[in-house]
Amino acid sequence: MSEKTINLTMGHDHRGMSLEQEKMAIEVKDWNLYYGKSQALKNVNMSLPQNRVTAFIGPSGCGKSTLLRCFNRMNDLIDIVRVEGKMYLHGTDMYDKRLDVAEIRRRIGMVFQKPNPFPKSIYENVAYGLRLQGINDKRLLDETVEWALQGAGLWNEAKDRLNENALGMSGGQQQRLCIARAIAIKPEVMLLDEPTSALDPISTLAIEELIFELKKEFTILIVTHNMQQAARVSDYTAFMYMGELVEYTDTDSLFTNPQKKRTEDYITGRYG
Amino acid sequence: MERKNFGTHVSALYNQYLEDLFNQVLEMGGLVERQLSNAVLAVQNADLDSAREVIALDKLINREEMEIDRLCVRVLARQQPTASDLRLVISAIRIAVDLERMGDEVVKIAKLVINLAGFEDQSCRSLQGYKQLIEISARANDMLKMVLNAFARLDVKDCAAVIEEEERVDDLFKVAMQEVTTRFKQSDSDVECLLELVYALRASERLTDHARNIAESVIYLVNGQDMRNIDAERLSTLLEELND
Repeated sequence: MSEKTINLTMGHDHRGMSLEQEKMAIEVKDWNLYYGKSQALKNVNMSLPQNRVTAFIGPSGCGKSTLLRCFNRMNDLIDIVRVEGKMYLHGTDMYDKRLDVAEIRRRIGMVFQKPNPFPKSIYENVAYGLRLQGINDKRLLDETVEWALQGAGLWNEAKDRLNENALGMSGGQQQRLCIARAIAIKPEVMLLDEPTSALDPISTLAIEELIFELKKEFTILIVTHNMQQAARVSDYTAFMYMGELVEYTDTDSLFTNPQKKRTEDYITGRYG
Repeated sequence: MERKNFGTHVSALYNQYLEDLFNQVLEMGGLVERQLSNAVLAVQNADLDSAREVIALDKLINREEMEIDRLCVRVLARQQPTASDLRLVISAIRIAVDLERMGDEVVKIAKLVINLAGFEDQSCRSLQGYKQLIEISARANDMLKMVLNAFARLDVKDCAAVIEEEERVDDLFKVAMQEVTTRFKQSDSDVECLLELVYALRASERLTDHARNIAESVIYLVNGQDMRNIDAERLSTLLEELND
């Protein structure tokens, strides 16, 4: 008789774990967000697992980017925004008034839809965050720049042109540079807001592959309009609709057997 | 087409999904092969232990089919396979169905051995039809080995050989059935065991049909050619092409 027993409950790739078994990086409790009088997020409760890729999908205006921006308090910059509820990063209240917002943003990095390198050299782009922290040790900077560029899968292309202006790179390279810049300061969590929507299919696949690699070191939260992308790269997927978290489970289950009709309609393209 | 081409996607995860699928089909095939070898031994030697192992293996085989389905659903839902990748998934689903049914047919052969052991009259085992049962089962086993190798190496020549062999076994089956039918007419004492033999013969012939189906699935995987439901002339042309 075969010794190998087949684990039929193994629903996904991360060693067959389900959300309940994961170690959590971020906890969201009774989270509400208002733009003036209009409510953009409605009572969101979720736990985001550490060293996993969690994708947020849903139609435009469903609140997924708004929620993502809450994770590093980007919404603080918008006057009319008011939030209620709690968010914890490894148990620390992220909205504690005594907390330095810059520190939160150091621990939770972000990459945006359009590549936005600074008009500086490739090297200086990656070293920027470290210099902000007051690090000027040349050797440490060199090491970290190389590590970050390696991590972003850009080292081989960039190593001979570190002093060239970053704006001379292709869009896909620029986006990987932004990822390198974000990981250089070794955040715990990386927020990716539509990181490939401005890129061609091959650059997109390169970034997706990178995301898969990066989760070994970081917790990754990604907002994407591209459902197939969520299916390809994520371990867990959250489907949002009109400010509510409709369904949140492991990606295999969500894409093969969603439990809510709204999720089914959306992922099968039946959503009106 | 070579198997290693399935591992050349940009996405390592995608490569892994397809590799898992390949391996799972081969693992399931290996189990059916083991089951069938046991059945051949059981029939040859009236070996009840081997017959019982055949029946026990069937549960594992059924679970393997579910696992292959799961892997196929996963890769379809998450990677949107196209072209040869898509054909691999479709072939894997079909092959898993054929292998699962082969498992059921092998169980029927094992049950013959168990049931015959309960009969006083053992003359059934000396019938020509019984010897032909051994032969068809053994040839089905060879076909299964060959077609699993063909799947592992994406080799259409071996598939062509399996299809040709299935046609030859069909003829052998007809001869065996004629003999058993004649015996039926002559005798009314050993009807029970003759009936068992008919079931088992039928099962052994079905095994070769499924092996052929798998060969057809492998051909579809390799070059996209659909070998099903074609007339004899067209079939022989296609088989010649495959052998070139």
